[in-house]
Amino acid sequence: MPTALLDRPARPAELDSTAMSDTPPVQPAPELRRLFEEQALVFMDQLYAAALRMTRNPADAGDLVQETYVKAYAAFGSFTQGTNLKAWLYRILTNTFINTYRKNQRGPYQGTIDDLEDWQLGGAESLTQGRSTRSAEAEAIDHLPDSDVKAALQSIPEDFRLAVYLADVEGFSYQEIADIMKTPVGTVMSRLHRGRRLLRDLLADYARERGITVPAPTTRSAT
Amino acid sequence: MTDCGCDKAKAELEEYLHRELSDQDFRDITDHLENCEDCTGEHLVGVTLTLKMQRACQEKAPEELRAAILAKLL
Repeated sequence: MPTALLDRPARPAELDSTAMSDTPPVQPAPELRRLFEEQALVFMDQLYAAALRMTRNPADAGDLVQETYVKAYAAFGSFTQGTNLKAWLYRILTNTFINTYRKNQRGPYQGTIDDLEDWQLGGAESLTQGRSTRSAEAEAIDHLPDSDVKAALQSIPEDFRLAVYLADVEGFSYQEIADIMKTPVGTVMSRLHRGRRLLRDLLADYARERGITVPAPTTRSAT
Repeated sequence: MTDCGCDKAKAELEEYLHRELSDQDFRDITDHLENCEDCTGEHLVGVTLTLKMQRACQEKAPEELRAAILAKLL
């Protein structure tokens, strides 16, 4: 059997500062590797799906997931068993994405997206629409192909997209998203709200373009 | 039963959907939704949007990627 320590990959510097502040792990590498395979690799499909939404292309998504696992494995000795491993992996994924890929993809106003007014984003609050319009909207959304949903997600600002993805698809709590995105909970809520609003408007547009018209319900009128 | 009203419900529907409300607020909104078709319709759109995203974003990591990652952990 090889010497335990030689099996350990090098620790990336950026993880050292935060993850390594506690007592160093004493687990031998074979045990660590077995645990990692058992606990962390099951999230590969999910991490890949998230990476696809982040990078918007399969090649970069694959690289991002690979880099995430390498970093996670290197720091796994400092992961506290019993805490949320999925959230820990998403934090590494998101950090890696922001540090490595995001700078190439930034749009002209991505940096100050939280400061923009709703009208500048093209979204509008429309809480005054009637009940029949709403059930038609729900039905239209339900009938859209998956490709339209992905396209809509791709086209909203990145910080909104990430917040929406982490909450709605992954089911993370607002606090967990705040930790993953390193932003206050209030900002998470605002990004979620605005992101979902934009998605709704986009999906309504797509439905109209596809000629999806859903008749207003006639049988559910209240008495 | 006191109804919390549409203003509170509409303001908190998103947190309701994401299960971020206190037990008391959660009950208030649930009670309100039982009696308000308008807010129920709004909630239905929210739920539909979430479920649709969950279904649309299912992906499987390519086998090559799985193999490459396993190879790196050796």
